[in-house]
Amino acid sequence: MTRRARGLSGGQWIAQYASPTLVIIALLALWEVAASVGWLRPILFPPPSRLARSLYELATDGYPEGVTLWVHFGITMQRILTGYAGALALAVPLGLVIGCVPLLDRLTVPVVAFSRSVATLSLLPLAIVWFGTGEGSKMFLIGYGCFWVMLSNVVAAVQQVDPLLIRAAHSMDTGRLGIFTRVLLPAALPRMFAGARVSLGVGFMVIVGAEMIGTIKGLGALIMEARTFYRNDITMVGMALLGVIGMLIAVMLQRIEAWLLPWQSRERR
Amino acid sequence: MTFGPSMATPQFKIEVDHLGKRFDSDGPALPPVLDDIQLKVAENEFVVLLGRSGCGKTTLLNIIAGLERASSGEARVDNRVVTRPGAGKGMVFQQGALFPWLTARQNVEFAARNRGVPRGERGLRSAELLALVGLTGAQDKYPSELSGGMQQRVAIARALALDPDILLMDEPFGALDELTRIEMQNELLRVWAARRKTVVFVTHSIWEALMLADRIVVMAARPGRIVLERCISIMRPRVITDPALLQLHKEIWEALQ
Amino acid sequence: MSMSAGSTVARHGLGAIGAFAFLALWELAARWVWRDVQVLPAPTQAIAIAWNHLTPSELAGHVGISLMRVAVGFTMAAALGITLGVAGSWYAWIGRLCRPVIDLLRPIPPLAWIPIAIVWFGLGEGSKWFVIFLGAFFPIFSNAYRGMDSVSPILLRAARTMDVDGVALLVRVALPAALPDIATGLRVGFGLAFGILIAAELIAADSGMGYLVMQSRQIGELGVAVFGILLIGVVSLVSDLALAAGLRHLLGRSAQI
Repeated sequence: MTRRARGLSGGQWIAQYASPTLVIIALLALWEVAASVGWLRPILFPPPSRLARSLYELATDGYPEGVTLWVHFGITMQRILTGYAGALALAVPLGLVIGCVPLLDRLTVPVVAFSRSVATLSLLPLAIVWFGTGEGSKMFLIGYGCFWVMLSNVVAAVQQVDPLLIRAAHSMDTGRLGIFTRVLLPAALPRMFAGARVSLGVGFMVIVGAEMIGTIKGLGALIMEARTFYRNDITMVGMALLGVIGMLIAVMLQRIEAWLLPWQSRERR
Repeated sequence: MTFGPSMATPQFKIEVDHLGKRFDSDGPALPPVLDDIQLKVAENEFVVLLGRSGCGKTTLLNIIAGLERASSGEARVDNRVVTRPGAGKGMVFQQGALFPWLTARQNVEFAARNRGVPRGERGLRSAELLALVGLTGAQDKYPSELSGGMQQRVAIARALALDPDILLMDEPFGALDELTRIEMQNELLRVWAARRKTVVFVTHSIWEALMLADRIVVMAARPGRIVLERCISIMRPRVITDPALLQLHKEIWEALQ
Repeated sequence: MSMSAGSTVARHGLGAIGAFAFLALWELAARWVWRDVQVLPAPTQAIAIAWNHLTPSELAGHVGISLMRVAVGFTMAAALGITLGVAGSWYAWIGRLCRPVIDLLRPIPPLAWIPIAIVWFGLGEGSKWFVIFLGAFFPIFSNAYRGMDSVSPILLRAARTMDVDGVALLVRVALPAALPDIATGLRVGFGLAFGILIAAELIAADSGMGYLVMQSRQIGELGVAVFGILLIGVVSLVSDLALAAGLRHLLGRSAQI
């Protein structure tokens, strides 16, 4: 049972977050001191104060000149979301079909497993030949990565539906279509959602790598470019931003899931 | 909807005729799960199938329900051979058969919809049934928010929403603690008095059988067969200390050894 | 539902048929439909092209160096991840120190560490080891931590009543109980490590399987890229299976991997 389900009071919430926050603050302070005293070379480990300034610079002037962090962020998100949406649109119906027809599943298992183990980024040269060096190749890569993960999760979701629920529906005179739409789908939803979450994570990872090759806009490109010009501070800010975005996406998905699947988080008090 | 036999010949609601069941994976040396079962259940009779785990009582229930097929012989409901589930055979499972994504009320409405109840009336019907099983306050809770006993009440209400002719219950109170179990037995009798149906109830508890049944059918395993049948004509609610019941208990206990 | 040996063979057989059908379809489509080796060569064509451009020793060299990089990075991640995960869960103060930092760094995609790794460790092997280490570390740590956390307290209590406490309790009871989760973490971490290895070799390396794929652009032969992609897939599958087998062997039959 998660802490959220148990319902933390305000005081408990503070106590839970106090210790980690202190640890982080202490480490940041240590870092700042070490850089200014010379234990850590500031060019290799820009201190938090420097990073804060770089963040401001990135938000206002942008890096490279004129390309603010909003632009980078927007482009990266756009790439992820289009590739992701496309992948889901294909993977969900296909996964449902494969999940419901065991023969299909057994036939496709090795192909799916192998395709998943292909390092998505290694498809870049192929993607460039097929879609050029522009947006298309990047969205293809993201779509590819997300698709296979989502597909196997949808198939698993269907297969893991408790057969007892199907039996109960049978004993209540539910027709075949009814069983699919009113019982199988809702029962598979939680696992499908988990797959959607993992899949988005994969897409996120792929885009960062994809942007490091042959493009100057986007967060992945940002951190790569900055390194070539020794702006390690920008690189670190970029990394931190990616981390923050990753966390925000995860939290957002959790909220959506709680809203969409209210029966999951509630338990008997 | 019966033609033919006159009122003088009683029509049995459920008939099990030379029924046998053998699993495909069992070798020929193993005894069958069910061996030549003969059973007749009259309308509105409360029959309890009693026996240890593995004696085939659940399999027999599933065959009557249409969820499993017999290897030989047949089961008939209303003189028609059972081939599929549904169609007037309401079922209550031991646990976990409520749809977790629907509230208690919505679970009952699910069945009402299958029964053909028009959308406007479903809410009314489900509220009525949930009140009957004593759950008026908890209609909008999800199964995960309900106790075991409350979940089973919902399960019973849901089965009743189909307006079934017969009610098949597979150890419905087996997962509950003793006190809740006794409470639920009384609740079931109360509901049954209000909505009379033919009931086939599976259990491994002798006392449960003695408290509930019109007729107890005792089964033994390997091969699965009926070893004893006893009718109980004592009025309900029954008292544990009734000597007739104690005598029956002794008889059944010995039959089970 | 019983699964006989025959159905297992049938399952693998069907899988093999599916895989073969896929490859056959690809081969035929490449040779008859688009017939352009620069768009998508057939598997056999890709192998032939690679054969022309690479000597077997060169190929072995690339595969070898890739595997070595993964081995180093993964071993470091396993050592540190398991140690910190186990210690962090067992000794609360260690947990309170490491978890905030780890939880803060975890959301950063492993590939995002590549530029800074190059800054800190140069373009040589060190930066590759570092990034692979980071990628594998987080899942290994999380799974080890969670595995230790979810050791049943009843198990620990029982051991305490048998005079097992302190470090002995950790090593003889908690650790074995957490082993399945730790093994899962290792497998997940390995999969990630492999993906990161390839990405790192694509972006900043002059040897290895990822580099091989990238090189295909320089020499303008898509066949080499396709060959490299297939090679990467095969190697990663085989090494994952080897790891799983190794873990199963180490853990015995009680664990399910």
